Amino acid sequence: MNATVGFISVDEHVQEHPEVWTKRLSHSKWGDRIPHVATNSAGFERWVVDGREISLDGVADCGAAMTERTKNPQRWSEVPPAVYDPKERLKIMDAAGIEYAVLYPTVAGLGGESFGRIENPELELACVQAYNDWLLEEWGSASERFIPQCVTPLFPIHAAESEIRRCVANGHRGVIYPSIPMELRDVPHINDSIYDPLWAACQELNVPICFHAGASSKIQIPAYEGYSRTVAAAFQSIARPASSVSVLVNLLISKILMRFPGLKVVLAETGLGWGAYLLEYTDFQATGDQLPQNGYDLMPSELFRRQCYLVGWYDQASLRVRKYIGAENILWSSQFPLATSTWPNTQATLAKNFEGVAEADKHKILRENAAKLYRIDLR
Amino acid sequence: MQVNFGLFSCDSHAQLDRDAWTKRMSKEKWGDRIPQVVEVTEDGRIVDHWMINGKVRTDWVCNCPAAMEGGVARGYYPGRWEEVPKIVYDPAERLKALDTDRVDGEVLYPNTPVSNFSFLQADAEFELACVQAHNDALADWRAVSDRYVPVAIIPYLSEIDVVVTEVERSVKRGHRGVVMLAEPAFTKKGLRRMNDPFWEPLWACCQDLGIPMQWHGSAGLTEQLSVPKWSGFSKKELHTVSTSRLCATPAQLIPNLLFSGILDRYPRLKWACAETGFGWVSYVLEACDHEWEQRRLWKEGVPTRPSELFRRQIYVDFWYEKAGIELRELVGVENIMWESDYPHIAATYPRSWKFVEESLAGVPDEQRKKMCYGNALRLYGLS
Repeated sequence: MNATVGFISVDEHVQEHPEVWTKRLSHSKWGDRIPHVATNSAGFERWVVDGREISLDGVADCGAAMTERTKNPQRWSEVPPAVYDPKERLKIMDAAGIEYAVLYPTVAGLGGESFGRIENPELELACVQAYNDWLLEEWGSASERFIPQCVTPLFPIHAAESEIRRCVANGHRGVIYPSIPMELRDVPHINDSIYDPLWAACQELNVPICFHAGASSKIQIPAYEGYSRTVAAAFQSIARPASSVSVLVNLLISKILMRFPGLKVVLAETGLGWGAYLLEYTDFQATGDQLPQNGYDLMPSELFRRQCYLVGWYDQASLRVRKYIGAENILWSSQFPLATSTWPNTQATLAKNFEGVAEADKHKILRENAAKLYRIDLR
Repeated sequence: MQVNFGLFSCDSHAQLDRDAWTKRMSKEKWGDRIPQVVEVTEDGRIVDHWMINGKVRTDWVCNCPAAMEGGVARGYYPGRWEEVPKIVYDPAERLKALDTDRVDGEVLYPNTPVSNFSFLQADAEFELACVQAHNDALADWRAVSDRYVPVAIIPYLSEIDVVVTEVERSVKRGHRGVVMLAEPAFTKKGLRRMNDPFWEPLWACCQDLGIPMQWHGSAGLTEQLSVPKWSGFSKKELHTVSTSRLCATPAQLIPNLLFSGILDRYPRLKWACAETGFGWVSYVLEACDHEWEQRRLWKEGVPTRPSELFRRQIYVDFWYEKAGIELRELVGVENIMWESDYPHIAATYPRSWKFVEESLAGVPDEQRKKMCYGNALRLYGLS
């Protein structure tokens, strides 16, 4: 048997099953506004949240688990159990060499953005809490190899803060927050100090805040309408990680990292390929614009290395020039069950991509960095 | 063009003289709509601004901090036209700046008030007249010296045959490329996306004429693809933010170009991306190849492996970076060119060689020559 390289995957997605919300929210109070699966006019099953169909070309987002990678299931009965059943997921993890999986949602939004669009704060909170509680009840309790992360109400910020405190006390290990909240609802710019209680809570509780790519579709070029569904989906999988460029640049100059030096930020599903260049370039521009003489004690790249992480999965070139990003700032993933995932070739990809990478750095990227960040006790 | 220094800039900006349009457009026909410099009182001070179609622009009269006394470190932009140095707008004088920086020649992109879409307003006839005057004025630079390589801008409100005619006319007058919006449809409603068959005659024309297409910076998309501007940023912070994120645009545009089929249909058509560096290209190549393999895109109308297509037809620029240079063989040593961005704030002028030496430390001489000027001479057909 080939030796399996065990790693911590910091970006895996759970698929919420049809009863997550219908079982937990009051039907008499919310009726059809409760997130649920419904059959649309074309005869396909889709998720409907607060009366709106979410933008997903299926009832689950799990190309990597399907026989045909390019086709998401159109009915719940077609969804493979490994996508929504934690016990089955553990088998995939064993085969992929994933020791621990840090969990992100699907229906709640790849970046936790779905409920942020709900205008009624009570309904928003109910949806958020149902997800967070379900994740602990069904996934967190199934195995310590699942690292649950909570979503939060978008605003007011004290509501987000309370939910974070409640969730972390219950066992959540990270916080997922949409990177551009002001595009979901009419709320202040994320750089505004009104958000400080959010950063403060994460810093104090020692949990990372996670900005997952795709939380705002506005910063992505939409796929050309003439593309086949497959080419369109492939293009979106490339545009989505690249859209995090703007999120990271904004973060580095926002002063949030300066105000909260202990805050850790994971930029999930970014890929690594643009990271080295972006840090070089932002330093160059910041120097040209004289930011060091204007209140910046640290260069953007130094702030990044102190507090930020990028996440790779098929990356190879960036591992060769990892010093520019920092071996301490790179995390690894499989992206299961998204179509972009390296599954079922996760181990082969890993072996090929890490060829020539020094053991110490490989250990950091695959295990140590994530273990520190999520307080996982590596035995 | 004679190679004396061994360095050629694939992205510099030509400031046209203040009378470039008034001299070329009919006063009788267009009156005050003609692009011109006007005096405006701001905070009790008289400053100059460009005015197009009767609308006064808010930007500096000339974007040229690198050419001002004190250089980019001072970051000073002229408030009056009189302050603009001749080494920015006078083609004969500007040769001195090239010599000072020890640069052989430069590809000329527009400068104030011409951006990717300054003339995309009012009506098609007005836009075309402004575009033609710009292309004519810039073509005159090539008559002054073959060290200048002008690239033409195009009208967007016209039918495609008018666009093609303007490109042919410009190339006859000395232009060696076309710079255009990356996604016209996102810059102005009603225009077509680059994937639209509408543009086919333009691709065919450029392939036949042997001139490359170019995108400059975000190619008209910067605001669309960015985290919304925060009102709390200082001017300097805002500048750092809005320039540093530029690579988000080509990192999405090139994958679309690679999937569009355009490069397969026009295998001799070349495409250059200016002012975006290239260290991020490894992202594009790995991401596109990964998805192409995972989803078997050769069965979906994307016959050629994206990284192959890139190396066959796409060019990118550097001006000071290091990580990208370490990955040059992955990107393609034949696909990388140098740029100075003179006279903008990111320019390496007048110490370009210092940055070049730092970036290219340890790079073998043969590769260095290609990236510093050889690839550019080939792409722009300069002997």
